[in-house]
Amino acid sequence: MNTNTNISNLILIPILIPFISAFLILLISEKTKYLKEVLSIAVALLCFIASITLLRLVGENPIIYQIPWLGYREMMAFRVDHLSAFLLFAVSMFSTLISIYAISVKNKGYSKIFYFLLLLTQSAAAGSVLSDNLIAMLFFWESMVVFLYVYIYISGEGYAVRKAALKTFLINGISDIAMMIGIVIVGYISDTYLMSSISSNKLILSGWGTIAYIMLLIGALTKAGAFPFHTWIPDAALNSNAAFMAYIPAAIDKLLGIYFLARISIYLYSLNTTMQVILMAIGAITILVAVMMALVQSDYKRLLSYHAVSQTGYMILGIGTLNPIGIAGGLFHMINHASYKSCLFMTSGAVERETGTNDISKLGGLFSRMPVTAICFIVAAASISGIAPFNGFFSKELVYKGTLASGWTLFFYAAELGSILTLASFLKLGHSVFFGSCPENLKDTKEAPYSMIIPMILLAAICIVFGFGADIPVSKFIEPSLSSLGVVVGNIELAGFHTDSLFIIFLVVVIIAVTNHIIGFRLSGKAYKSSDHIHHAPVLKETYAMADKGYFDIYEISRYIFAYFAGIMFKVDRFFDKLIDDIPSAITRWASEQLSRLQSASYRVSMFFIFLFIAIYLLYLGGIKWQ
Amino acid sequence: MDKTVLLAVLVPVIGAFTIPLFNRISKDLRNVMAVVIAASTFIFNVVLMQNAFLDGIRYVVSFPLGFDFILKLDPLSAFMATVSSLISLVIVIYSLDYISHYENQTEYYTMVIFFMGSMMGLVYSDNLIWMYTFWELTGFASWRLVGFFRGDKEIAKANKTVLVTFFGAVLMLIGIIDIYMTQGTVVISELKAKEITFLPATLILCGIFSKSAILPFSTWLPDAGVAPSTVTSLLHAAVLVKIGTFVYAKLFGTIFIVPESFSYMVLIITGITALVAGGAALIETDMKRIIAYSTISQLSFIFLGLASGSKLAFAGALVYILMHSIAKGSLFLCAGIVEQKTHTKDITKMGGLVKSMPLTALAFALSAFSVMGLPPFGGFFGKFFVFKGAIETNDIIVSILFFIGAILTMLYLSRLFYKIFLGSEKPNMPREGSSTMVASVLFLAFLGLVLGILITYPFDYASITTETMYMMGVNIQ
Repeated sequence: MNTNTNISNLILIPILIPFISAFLILLISEKTKYLKEVLSIAVALLCFIASITLLRLVGENPIIYQIPWLGYREMMAFRVDHLSAFLLFAVSMFSTLISIYAISVKNKGYSKIFYFLLLLTQSAAAGSVLSDNLIAMLFFWESMVVFLYVYIYISGEGYAVRKAALKTFLINGISDIAMMIGIVIVGYISDTYLMSSISSNKLILSGWGTIAYIMLLIGALTKAGAFPFHTWIPDAALNSNAAFMAYIPAAIDKLLGIYFLARISIYLYSLNTTMQVILMAIGAITILVAVMMALVQSDYKRLLSYHAVSQTGYMILGIGTLNPIGIAGGLFHMINHASYKSCLFMTSGAVERETGTNDISKLGGLFSRMPVTAICFIVAAASISGIAPFNGFFSKELVYKGTLASGWTLFFYAAELGSILTLASFLKLGHSVFFGSCPENLKDTKEAPYSMIIPMILLAAICIVFGFGADIPVSKFIEPSLSSLGVVVGNIELAGFHTDSLFIIFLVVVIIAVTNHIIGFRLSGKAYKSSDHIHHAPVLKETYAMADKGYFDIYEISRYIFAYFAGIMFKVDRFFDKLIDDIPSAITRWASEQLSRLQSASYRVSMFFIFLFIAIYLLYLGGIKWQ
Repeated sequence: MDKTVLLAVLVPVIGAFTIPLFNRISKDLRNVMAVVIAASTFIFNVVLMQNAFLDGIRYVVSFPLGFDFILKLDPLSAFMATVSSLISLVIVIYSLDYISHYENQTEYYTMVIFFMGSMMGLVYSDNLIWMYTFWELTGFASWRLVGFFRGDKEIAKANKTVLVTFFGAVLMLIGIIDIYMTQGTVVISELKAKEITFLPATLILCGIFSKSAILPFSTWLPDAGVAPSTVTSLLHAAVLVKIGTFVYAKLFGTIFIVPESFSYMVLIITGITALVAGGAALIETDMKRIIAYSTISQLSFIFLGLASGSKLAFAGALVYILMHSIAKGSLFLCAGIVEQKTHTKDITKMGGLVKSMPLTALAFALSAFSVMGLPPFGGFFGKFFVFKGAIETNDIIVSILFFIGAILTMLYLSRLFYKIFLGSEKPNMPREGSSTMVASVLFLAFLGLVLGILITYPFDYASITTETMYMMGVNIQ
């Protein structure tokens, strides 16, 4: 146990201060202007500074801090290694930026409640990444489910919002139950809940170990928003606000989900080849399924939300390779994705605020009217599409290299195909929103306010800095994190720009995507319809129609299964009701009728016989023993 | 201290019969006295709980043939008595307003307090025969409370309640007699670490299951909920059904050594109960029936923790009893507010009440989260540790049954909340309930949250109780 109180305070700041401030915010009147916002930003900044300090303090030995918690055995144990410190840094950074951004977001509900939730989410996220004890981690992790529900619920009125909120809650809540079971099993087979202790004697996939891993994987994948547990994200995108989307599905959930995936897959378990292939397949399927859906969307935020799913696929693919390059790529992509996706959602919020719509068929030509937003969009879109030299390019290269090194070339092709479609859909989106002709009613659209522009610029700057100077994040965050996970990097170069064969493939990808966009644009004549030739292609058209009806949505499928199951259970319940109520009543009635026909004795005589028989029975029972 | 145990039992039992006398003087005095008796019982129990780890606190009145009336303090009894008297106290306070529109109020208060007293007698009894006697007295009180309204339907449901539990209790009595014959005593502390066979254990189990509404004796609980007022159904769902879990914990967790197959049978039956009750709760449309089914499914989780044979799970089950009583109490009282204001129990006729009853909705949501087992609410820890028990049985079937049970819990509570408080708004939105009622539910709802954040204290108590009382070598360990 570390007795250095200064350091322990540093660990508690990002957890306790937001938690307490959240309740302070509830006390502030909704009418006050900026007080809530300023308090929230100040708290987030404080945590950010604390996280930077922690990042600098963490050396070879992790910082450990324990608080008595559950009885004498389970402590609320915090342990800060490079990976945790890196994650805490990211969480605090995004919390700060979103606190600033949300000032001007209109449809976020009561701002009091929004900031209350934001601070609590920040506190819980910090707790999850710092916890070493799995129970403590689950405690923080699972408490975020409630906030998710309220975030969406307060964004608007109407049936769709409530339904999306419920769906989000149930998918995440049930996956958390699965994760709880996984953690219980891990505790059972390894006799400790401390991740650091488990990692010194890694678990293997056999018997309970396999079940536990699958359960934990469900939790991690749902948080990260991977196929098939992703379906709440696009629904939430339609029915919530940009600040929420930029904060939770784009940043916090991805960070936590991938963090935990890395922890379980690398740190707690030594996986076998079968699980490696399963992970990589999940990654590849997620990339393709989601990007295919993204391509045909016509709502700004919903399109982005499918990309938020699709990009998760790259991270899972990278970590699934189980080799240092791939894992580095997965983690690097995690932070890159959070920055550009958060930035993209922020641009969507800015456009929504200024134009009143997110429907890309009603937008156009906004570049000259919202130049800063547009430039931020272009930088972020180039990053997500993996255009050199923005950050997405470098992390994707690492994932590709890792995939190739694993020997599964099939998944490499899937990932590259995903890249083509990603670029194609961003060409469509950017073209329809910021270029082309501007509709009459949007002629005098203005640039978004500073509170929105500043976070966007900062995130776009990260996209550029982490791209041109990719060795900064790699050497500061990724390589130390890998060493915390116990991955030996060796002398492989993780950062750096090479004009090797992968670069040529990259150029081919760009050419195909641009050509596709031009063909689509020529065929339909409208930018927002430039994916229609794919949307309406044979087979795909029917598939899309079925997807729209929710045939592939695990939530809808489960709803039918559970409704059916509950129906059967209800019948079973009714059966037991008959068994203990109706049948005994009927027998009693029948018996009493028979008896009353046999003898018309009075009530007292009957009672006398009953007690007589009971007495004889008791004497009989006891008589044997008393001898 | 010996006298305090006696007081904790006698004050409510005798006090119950003074309530009609106070009613002669004035109604207000009667209400005040009901609260005073309930509150003093709670305080006695808190005092006892602080001394629960002292040895040999007992009060004895001698009777022939080993039927001595013995009240004995142990940590488990003190825990159970404190939890149930706390909930009963909140119920009495809430009733002041809720029950004020109905007839037979004097009988109501008399029976609630009498119920409370019998419950205290039951948990502190150190003699199986006296435990059985108090057990039947609680059954009698519950019969009168379910039959609070005098309609034919209510009378029928009241009779069903009392007949099912009485039938189980008679089987239990036979089991007790069998133990008396084989072991020669019915004093619980003298029976410690005695091995008993499958048959008497099962007979006693029938009594426990009928009281705790576990299959196949489960359906009286939803029916009792349908009958008259919410308050009485709460008394059943949050307090009375816990009698069964308490007796199970005491007899099969800390006293008797039972065959392993017996515990396994309990796990399977309760696992199936969790599924059946959870499924039924998803189909039902009557608000109070849904909550009653939810009680049945949650009781299964408590039995899981008690029967799994793991120490931590046993402690978890005790925490579960505490958290579930609080949360379920709040849910029922919220349902009572909603029912009183909307004049219906059919959830398909409700919707959008969060607009007009925000505080009730908040209390309902917080309590529902606790029952679902979401952190940072107290229910999380109960659920986590009983699942630990399920896994440690090393039996995949038990684990799967309860896994699905937990998912169903989340589903039916979300559905219930959604239908009542969200959903599409209906005309004639009712107003928020009275301040006494809303304060009662908010108190319970936030208590669940606070206990979750300060889990160290209740969990410490539960684990030390387990440590001092739990019998090792019963099951898998």
